[in-house]
Amino acid sequence: MTTNSAVRVAAVGDIEEGEALKVPAETTGRADAIAVFHDGGAYYALDDTCSHGQASLSDGWIEGGEVECPLHSARFCLKSGEPQCMPATLAQRTHRVEVRDGEVWLHPGEESAG
Amino acid sequence: MSAPRGIAVVGAGLAAVSTCDALRARGYDGELVLYSAEHGLPYDRPPLSKDVLLGKSRREDVLLRPAQWYDEKGIELRDGTPVRAIRPREGGLELADGTRATADRIVLATGGTPRALPVPGGDDPGVHALRTWEDAERLRERLLPGARVAVVGAGLIGAETAAVAHALGCRVTLIDPVPVPLAAVVGDEIASALHSRHSAEGIEVLTAGVERIERRPGGLLVRLSGYGGSVAVDTVVAGIGIRPAIELAESAGLIVDNGIVVRPGQRTSHPNVFAVGDVARRDGHRVRHEHWEAAQRDGEAVAHGVLGLAVPEAGASWFWSDRHGSRLEAVGSMADAERRVLRGAVDTGAFTVFGLRGDRVVAAAAVDRPRDIKAARRIVDRGVVVDEGVLSDESADLRTLLKR
Ligand SMILES: Cc1cc2nc3c(=O)[nH]c(=O)nc-3n(C[C@H](O)[C@H](O)[C@H](O)COP(=O)(O)OP(=O)(O)OC[C@H]3O[C@@H](n4cnc5c(N)ncnc54)[C@H](O)[C@@H]3O)c2cc1C
Repeated sequence: MTTNSAVRVAAVGDIEEGEALKVPAETTGRADAIAVFHDGGAYYALDDTCSHGQASLSDGWIEGGEVECPLHSARFCLKSGEPQCMPATLAQRTHRVEVRDGEVWLHPGEESAG
Repeated sequence: MSAPRGIAVVGAGLAAVSTCDALRARGYDGELVLYSAEHGLPYDRPPLSKDVLLGKSRREDVLLRPAQWYDEKGIELRDGTPVRAIRPREGGLELADGTRATADRIVLATGGTPRALPVPGGDDPGVHALRTWEDAERLRERLLPGARVAVVGAGLIGAETAAVAHALGCRVTLIDPVPVPLAAVVGDEIASALHSRHSAEGIEVLTAGVERIERRPGGLLVRLSGYGGSVAVDTVVAGIGIRPAIELAESAGLIVDNGIVVRPGQRTSHPNVFAVGDVARRDGHRVRHEHWEAAQRDGEAVAHGVLGLAVPEAGASWFWSDRHGSRLEAVGSMADAERRVLRGAVDTGAFTVFGLRGDRVVAAAAVDRPRDIKAARRIVDRGVVVDEGVLSDESADLRTLLKR
């Protein structure tokens, strides 16, 4: 799989706990935008568009290692992208996030370690 | 009681599929057979009154699960196979073709059928209901630009269908005897705002009952009571609720009262029979929870019941409904609220209403405020004692109420 070079998406503190940042496709160089989540002190990234419907997971509810889709309440594990309940049945693609020198870096297309 | 070895699930809607999913997830590895009166793979119903009527979704877009899922999970899907009777004492059931099948546990997931308009002419072929894929296909052919359409009943499905017909260019009349439908479910503020939206969009809204429907050359005449007049249309859609499909339960002697009565774990009055989804009514609840998520959760609960596991707490119910590009969502039971608190301005079109009892939130309803609803749901479930000032202050983050 081809990977794009890392993108600096924010400084630590820019994305509040329980919030997410939507990184547009033009920036990531991928087909879909990527949502970068801040939960429990850690950062995670998933493809932004819910695998079930046309909703943006960056607008979802983020808590306890999961994001709940704003449209039909499907929940996904932030770490693995796996759906936790219906209506979603397909996993969201994960992307690696790295915090380096107080900055949040996204590696689009590089799967997170899970 | 011995562990189950053969489970029959009757019906193949969301509640049934969710039941199968949860049984396998909880480790049940015995025989699992899904009997469906309908043909083809089980599909999801909410899109029927939305993208399917709009012509945006095809059957393969609305399947609950792909075909291979049933194989992978070892679920035998017997579509086009209605069950005629259940015989829990004999450990089996009888199919419509007269053959017998064995099962030591039976899960009834038979849903409901639309109530027919109880007036003369209510059974005219020009009067449509909307419950199945076939219903949606038949109706879609009638919703042509310029067609005159009367929708009877302005509840959830009626309102959605009226909005879709309007978007498709039909001339829509929406008829309901109740001046502000849904007020008991979502509160007056939201119900009024949503209902007045229909006329603002150009739908003719009539507060009236239907007395009879007459076939006339070139169409139907809907005669109204109360209002006194009549409406000439090409097509009528009735959205006046469903009747739970309780026949199998009733003839097996189970306790039935406005649905199959169930206790925790979705247990019916027979130890080997369970009921889930729209057909079931929880003992102690006045209404059946005829919503998508309730059907899904019932599947999870019944897996625990059937396998003899401790049943998890269900939490507040939730549903959504889409009309005129807006989304209504509601959590909990507004009927239990003593007072309501508004967050946001009604005239902006996007706002939330919280229903309180004492110092706790028991319900919430919102238009286009998904984050408020997600917060409200957790506030209800966790029994948080709330500060009304935070609820009504739009600049205050609701999540602060969840942190302690
Ligand atoms: C048009 C429409 C739009 C909706 N929109 C929303 C929405 O926006 N939001 C929301 O929360 N909810 C919505 N709902 C409600 C939601 O879809 C239902 O609550 C849910 O489908 C209930 O699932 P169920 O499995 O209990 O019943 P059903 O989906 O009705 O499935 C029951 C199945 O059992 C079969 N069956 C019955 N008797 C037998 C028998 N004897 N043998 C074999 N099979 C049998 C039936 O043929 C049917 O296929 C909507 C419903 C409809 C109809």
